[in-house]
Amino acid sequence: MKKQNTQKKYVPELSQKEIDELSNSIKTSSQKIVAETIKRMKESDKNRPKTMKYFDEMADLFGKREKEIIEAKKSGKKIIGYLCLFAPIELILAADAIPVRINSGWYDATKIGDRVVPVEVCPVIRSTIGAKMVSLSPFLENSDAIISVLTCDAMTKLGEILTDYTPIWQMTIPRIKDSDQALRLWIEEIKSIKKEIEKLTGNKITRKKLRRAIELTQKATKAFRRLQQLRKGNPVIMGRDAMLAIQTYIWDDVERWTKNTNKLCDELEKRVKNKDWSVPPDTPRVLITGTPMFWPDNWKVPSLVEEANPKGVILADEICSSERILNDPVGVDEWSMNDMLNAIGERYLMASTCACFSSTDGNEDRINWLITKIKDHKIDGVIYYVVRGCMLYAMEYTRVKKVLDQLNIPVYYLDTEYTREDVGQMKTRVEAFLEMLTARIDF
Amino acid sequence: MISKSEKLLTITIGIDLGTQTIKVVILKDNLVLTREKAVSGFETSKVAKQVIDEALKKTKLSINDISHITATGAGVQMAPNPNSTISMMSADAKAGFYLFPKARTIIDVGAEEARAIKCDDNGIMVDFVVNERCAAGAGAFIEAMARAIEVKMEEMGPLSLKAERASSINATCVIFGESDVVSLIHKQESKPEIARAVFDAMADRISSMVHRLGVNPEVVLVGGVAKDVGFIASLKRKLGVDISIPDYPEYAGALGAALIAAKRAKRNK
Repeated sequence: MKKQNTQKKYVPELSQKEIDELSNSIKTSSQKIVAETIKRMKESDKNRPKTMKYFDEMADLFGKREKEIIEAKKSGKKIIGYLCLFAPIELILAADAIPVRINSGWYDATKIGDRVVPVEVCPVIRSTIGAKMVSLSPFLENSDAIISVLTCDAMTKLGEILTDYTPIWQMTIPRIKDSDQALRLWIEEIKSIKKEIEKLTGNKITRKKLRRAIELTQKATKAFRRLQQLRKGNPVIMGRDAMLAIQTYIWDDVERWTKNTNKLCDELEKRVKNKDWSVPPDTPRVLITGTPMFWPDNWKVPSLVEEANPKGVILADEICSSERILNDPVGVDEWSMNDMLNAIGERYLMASTCACFSSTDGNEDRINWLITKIKDHKIDGVIYYVVRGCMLYAMEYTRVKKVLDQLNIPVYYLDTEYTREDVGQMKTRVEAFLEMLTARIDF
Repeated sequence: MISKSEKLLTITIGIDLGTQTIKVVILKDNLVLTREKAVSGFETSKVAKQVIDEALKKTKLSINDISHITATGAGVQMAPNPNSTISMMSADAKAGFYLFPKARTIIDVGAEEARAIKCDDNGIMVDFVVNERCAAGAGAFIEAMARAIEVKMEEMGPLSLKAERASSINATCVIFGESDVVSLIHKQESKPEIARAVFDAMADRISSMVHRLGVNPEVVLVGGVAKDVGFIASLKRKLGVDISIPDYPEYAGALGAALIAAKRAKRNK
């Protein structure tokens, strides 16, 4: 429903002509980039897993999944968008609705978002605003409601700005997570979002339905962990491929994603048996952490690392657009409604390693995840990726660096923007870092 | 021409394609035979080839005597047929450690870039930082500020040493730095004081960059700006440590590349 006569609080009015022109030009250039990126991903691994074909298809944001979502909407299903990983997708699935994450990865959309907010604001936010202004994202456009979790400052305001277009359900996330009252507040938020979802969909979230939804995401986590297990040994899949497969989870059908991830793992297990590595086993092993990286345009860091001279390979990451999506399952003891809701609350609050929290131990949960991943995946070096305007991850760098220094793991702070123009400079920096890792391995 | 026995020795070339000048070093068994440079200009590839030819002519060598060429610098992709490439950071680390075996921190300040590299006891780079997309910490800044106070760029350094006190500018970029300088001019500050303020502002930026790595002695300064007495004085004040500067600091990148070329040539033998 377009609110024709209501005054918009933030966004300027754009003529339909301008919307169409801008959205078509971004769409066209983005599709070119996607084709080029996938082509390069195929070239970088001669024996790229055949099962990646499924994820390549899912990576087309204007393809199969868009059609499915439009069809589902026509048949009466509700689409519920969400902005941060704290949105409890099990509740959405249990109400027979479709969850889709709607953070934008389009570089050019930031320029449109700049009409609303200053350039100092994080580009993920500016791009999402821009995408909405020109109706670019099929997932954002088809969302009947959007869950906006008040995490970082920019996300907090993004939800507010998007109320100009779509019903927004805001959720307060406590900034301190290790206290009883924080968890209590969060579980209340979960319960109230449950009511909203039931009201919108007209479907009651029953005990049986919620259990089925939790089991569905548990299976997805299991498939993801299988993939991660395979990435602990010699490189059997390029990091870019794994990261793309993982990211498609946020817009794909959960059950089908799980099936296809398991198929990918089957193929990778065969590769392990045949000692068929994607890159030589002595290639520097990199972990990426920091700001999320969203498909389709913001794929430059993984590409730079894995196409550099000398080459690196990404074996793990600690970002909320990739592994953090699926690190933890919802752990339920008893399948009562109350227990399930508590378990969802704990899963989304306690297990998160987002930098939006403040704790006297210095986000120990994130540090622990990093150390575990570094050890398990035998990481040689860490790239700490930050987009300008991402204050919280930028600030936590010092803390992470201190810990990694003690472990004698080199870490490089790579800051950038939603732009292609700095790729040359970034390449030099990434290559110097990889040379450094190679020298250490050589020595 | 060189004799047959000498041919067994490894002769390599390092070429550094900087943003303003191209530098070439020819190395024979880790000893510098010659150095050569030229302004990069518009036709970088062509100039690069000329600089190499000139260096070869000076040493009476032909390109066939060279076992390996390694290129580095911002314009590395314009290098004429190098055997390999290396990042500026690795090249700096290599050269810094070669020139001063006790070097643990190497600072390179060029025309448009500044970087700092941390080395371990074996000369292996363990960390680095760079200034990005901003020339305030680099040579271009001195050039712009010299223009603003109407002196030659080479005069800035000696002039700054005559300053009796320190004034300050908050140089966040070349453009705003210039308006800071204009307000000093309006305050009728003398040229030496303004020149010193320019170097202090640069040294401030570079020193906070170096502090991110930790200031581990011995600190070595290379790059074109390492020839500027004004900048050296300011940086020493800001870092509070002694700074070692090699002869020909602007050739550090090319030297590092030539050293890496030698290592790679031996590996390929």
